[in-house]
Amino acid sequence: MSAPLSAPALTPDAVRGARTRLRVRNARDLAGRFARRRDGMVAAVILLVFAVLALVPALFVGPLETVTTATGTPFEPPSLAHIFGTDQAGRDMLNLTVHGTRISMVIGLLATIMTILLGATIGITSGYIGGRPDQFLMRVTDFFLVLPTFVLAVVLAPIVLDLVGIDAEIFGIKATLMVIVIVIGLTSWAATARIIRSQTLSVKERMYVDRARVIGGGSGHIMRRHILPNVTNLIVANTVLTFAGAVFTETTLSFIGLGDPFAPSWGQLLNSAQTSGAPGLGAWWCIAPPAACVVIVILAFTLVGNALDDVLNPKSGVRR
Amino acid sequence: MTADPRDRNADELIRLEGLEVHFPIRGGLRDLVRRRPSGFVRAVDGIDLTIRRGEVLGLVGESGSGKTTTGRVIVKLTRPTGGRLLLDGEDVTRVWGGDALRAYRRRVQLIFQDPYETLNPKQTLRDFVIEPLEVQRIGNAAEREQRVLDAIDTAGLRPAADFAFRYPHELSGGQRQRVVIAGALVLDPAIVVADEPVSMLDVSIRTEILNLMLDLRRGRDLTYLFITHDLSVAWVIADRIAVMYLGKIMELGTSQEVINDPRHPYTRALVSVMPTPEPPQPGRRARRVILAGETPDAVNIPPGCRFHPRCPLAEQAGIMARCRTEEPPLLDLGGGRSSACWLAESGKPLPAVERRLGVFPATDHAGVVPVAPSP
Amino acid sequence: MTLMPDPGRLSDVTETARLDRAGAAADADDARADEARADVGARPTEAAEEAPLAALSGRAAIRGRRQWPLPKQADPDAPLLVVEGLTTHFTLGDSTVHAVDGVSFTLEDGEALGIAGESGCGKTTTALSLLRLLPANAEVVGGSVKLFGIDLCTKSEKALRRYRWREISIIFQGAMNALNPVKRVGDQVAEPIELRIGLSRAEAARRAGELLELVGIPRSRGRAYPHELSGGMRQRAMIAMALACDPAIVIGDEPTTALDVMVQAQILELLEDLRAKLGLSLILITHDLSVLAETCDRVMVMYAGRVAEEGPVGRIYGTPRHPYTQMLLAAFPDVHSGRRNLGTIPGSPPDLRTPPPGCRFHPRCPAAMEVCRTEVPPEVCLDDRVRVACHLYPPGSDGVPVPLPVTRAAVPDAAVPEEAS
Repeated sequence: MSAPLSAPALTPDAVRGARTRLRVRNARDLAGRFARRRDGMVAAVILLVFAVLALVPALFVGPLETVTTATGTPFEPPSLAHIFGTDQAGRDMLNLTVHGTRISMVIGLLATIMTILLGATIGITSGYIGGRPDQFLMRVTDFFLVLPTFVLAVVLAPIVLDLVGIDAEIFGIKATLMVIVIVIGLTSWAATARIIRSQTLSVKERMYVDRARVIGGGSGHIMRRHILPNVTNLIVANTVLTFAGAVFTETTLSFIGLGDPFAPSWGQLLNSAQTSGAPGLGAWWCIAPPAACVVIVILAFTLVGNALDDVLNPKSGVRR
Repeated sequence: MTADPRDRNADELIRLEGLEVHFPIRGGLRDLVRRRPSGFVRAVDGIDLTIRRGEVLGLVGESGSGKTTTGRVIVKLTRPTGGRLLLDGEDVTRVWGGDALRAYRRRVQLIFQDPYETLNPKQTLRDFVIEPLEVQRIGNAAEREQRVLDAIDTAGLRPAADFAFRYPHELSGGQRQRVVIAGALVLDPAIVVADEPVSMLDVSIRTEILNLMLDLRRGRDLTYLFITHDLSVAWVIADRIAVMYLGKIMELGTSQEVINDPRHPYTRALVSVMPTPEPPQPGRRARRVILAGETPDAVNIPPGCRFHPRCPLAEQAGIMARCRTEEPPLLDLGGGRSSACWLAESGKPLPAVERRLGVFPATDHAGVVPVAPSP
Repeated sequence: MTLMPDPGRLSDVTETARLDRAGAAADADDARADEARADVGARPTEAAEEAPLAALSGRAAIRGRRQWPLPKQADPDAPLLVVEGLTTHFTLGDSTVHAVDGVSFTLEDGEALGIAGESGCGKTTTALSLLRLLPANAEVVGGSVKLFGIDLCTKSEKALRRYRWREISIIFQGAMNALNPVKRVGDQVAEPIELRIGLSRAEAARRAGELLELVGIPRSRGRAYPHELSGGMRQRAMIAMALACDPAIVIGDEPTTALDVMVQAQILELLEDLRAKLGLSLILITHDLSVLAETCDRVMVMYAGRVAEEGPVGRIYGTPRHPYTQMLLAAFPDVHSGRRNLGTIPGSPPDLRTPPPGCRFHPRCPAAMEVCRTEVPPEVCLDDRVRVACHLYPPGSDGVPVPLPVTRAAVPDAAVPEEAS
């Protein structure tokens, strides 16, 4: 065949080593580009702070104060002892808000995972296979796209709770919260599926997909090896923005009372504040901290999402 | 899929018999109601072609001729709607899945036109070249890596181990095309269909790639179907040339014969307008036969000989009536030459063209006004 | 590096309408003066005495045939276009790309000049620099472009619009991108006429119809949208647009690249016809040297932003001097001479951010000498009106082409039928 090679043969280990080095180099490239975006970096730091608070809230503010372990008197305005004041049961608002971070973020995370898994799978499969299955799946997607979130939540919550009982726990999460996760997932996946399907349609027409078919690749192989990597960038950017949306939706659902009154997510805190008459009493400190957190977190997610989108999906010809 | 002894001819690698690819035109409520397409794009409209083992067959045609579709049928990216495809005497027309398809793909590979699009930007070169081996489940891990290196090295990218881990955006156009060739070779195919492999490359790089392809043909007993719109490139590299127009083969012969003594008016027109890097000579311009209009839509193929509306000879030779009504088959002129033209039937060279541009076309079909762009 | 100008540049046309109408009145006065001067051409003896080149009498005759008067500042005796030392740089991040570096050439009335070279040699940038239709990160940093003796490089953007499309127009590569998909073709051709020249809409439409017929599109097809036309028709429509304001020079940037060979022949024939009928001057830019041989009077070969060789077409193809020209010609198949051995040029064009010192071709040149590495070869005019920039032809050289000391990589004669059978 050909002349003897001057370089030693590639062993599978050498291949793995080279690939890791490549991946590291790529990752560092991306990180470098991301670091140059100041808005994304600031937002990322903010998210990091919230992530830490979500992981170990007790480290910063001690255990969650309950009605029985309240440290202050009801509706105390902010003071040195209670920086954000207290709520209607005398619980320190800072304590509640920090603990609320975990619940809001965890629900957001789970909902996002569900959304992305469902949306990406259906989007890629539907886009690649095309034809009748695609038409059918798209009609299903349209159905879920127009489903009103709150109506669904209001209908589903009692049904699910009836089925599993109010105190049941799935994966360590209370059933009431799980309902919210499911509702958010069900109403968000359709938009993601549409976006990813449209990207799949364009990737499907590329010459390298044709080439993959010519060498004998089947649908599964092509979807995994060619469609998915070229859609991942879009998925990542989409995920971050979905997370923001999930947090917001959770806040809203909890605020209208579909959450768990014993789990103080930010939305739940707003709900408590409202039902206990805080606005009428002028106790703004019961409303502002959780609301501010929601806004900051969503803004941070959005900024990070946009920065990531720019870094991962560079658009040629855009002059800055 | 049984081998019919009559089909077997040791010299033949691929044979197309009456190949047809008709794409239905769908759209509009009326079609939905009638449940039938309103028309067909007859991209390939009945082709008989043989590709011999070890040869380079040039398939030449302008846009709308059906040459690319023919290539796609041979590599099974497009389904034919009629006719037969035979590989080594075996009828493989209906092979569309499973092991049979995989075995077929191992023997028939494709080099694409655009080296910038054929490589997945997210794959390293090694990934690209090893993919066929993985999909076909050939060899074990170590053997595959070795074959990959061999293929990259054979394609002229040295040192192979260095190139193996680069990404496409780090390479030039010529280097990318070499990678594409390596990827086609790694399965050790019997025939490679090359669809415009050098049109997107700079002229000075083309020679390297053409040389590479010819070296490989000698070293590995490869056969090529070389699809191109550029008659001069086909002349350089091909042993035989088949000229296509509107879905049918107009002429077939050795490249020397087809260029120096074309027996079909379309071929002759193409040859006369072929640009050459020569100093201008008096009289050369007068000998150019520039056809009026463009290749019509494959939806409205003219009746009779499909070239007759643009043919500079039909009226002159007084056989217009026949050309308008009877479609000439690919007539065998002996010695391996064929031409689909009534004027060539006698076996004598074509008469000279008496009139120049501005006086043809003879009928409305060829007008300067095709209603829709050609496919 | 993308050199595609913004096709929306044609909207420049609309912006200058007001200015043009204001200037039209002043122009009209000058027109009468110009006509008087143009009558010089009617006295052949005086014209012949003034200059040995045949171009002069042709020049006066062609300029006398113009539909619209010469620009106010035009010098009727100056050659049509004189480009000297044109230098254009791109800014890419922190680095500068020396895309065009000291390019000079002259274009006479009625002449066709072909600019050839491979991708990245700067030919398109040169053409765009004439009209200053450059992307935002590019700039003409030196040299002069004298149209009728008027230096366009010293003109402001506003003043330059008087010349764009009315004196020099351009046919872009890929007509599909330059045509507005939601406007009828006839309207697009009429637009510059209406706005730049100031004719009424009806007049402009009538003239647009004439132009379409001139390029071989039936008048009725003017009502079609671009997507309803075939590739060749669209390119013809682009040519009609370029001719709308009766320019003196038409630049074709790869006008036939995406087209079938037969359509290519039609378009080239059309350009030839127009040149004869209208006294048009053409600048044809292409990477395909074979295309220029039949259409151009003179050919200029560029490499890496500089001119390698330039001269009458017969000379460039018949006796190429510069090693790059020789190797490039050898890389094209020549059917009529039966040459199947194709040459190749090893290596690749240099990165113009850090071009090699001295002659930019020296890393790939088989005849490279020591001096090529350090000194930029001067442009030398040889006796047969060929200009070449190569140390093999120093000033005072006799111009005999130096054959290259290289064995060309040959495509082995693919004459397998004899072998196999």
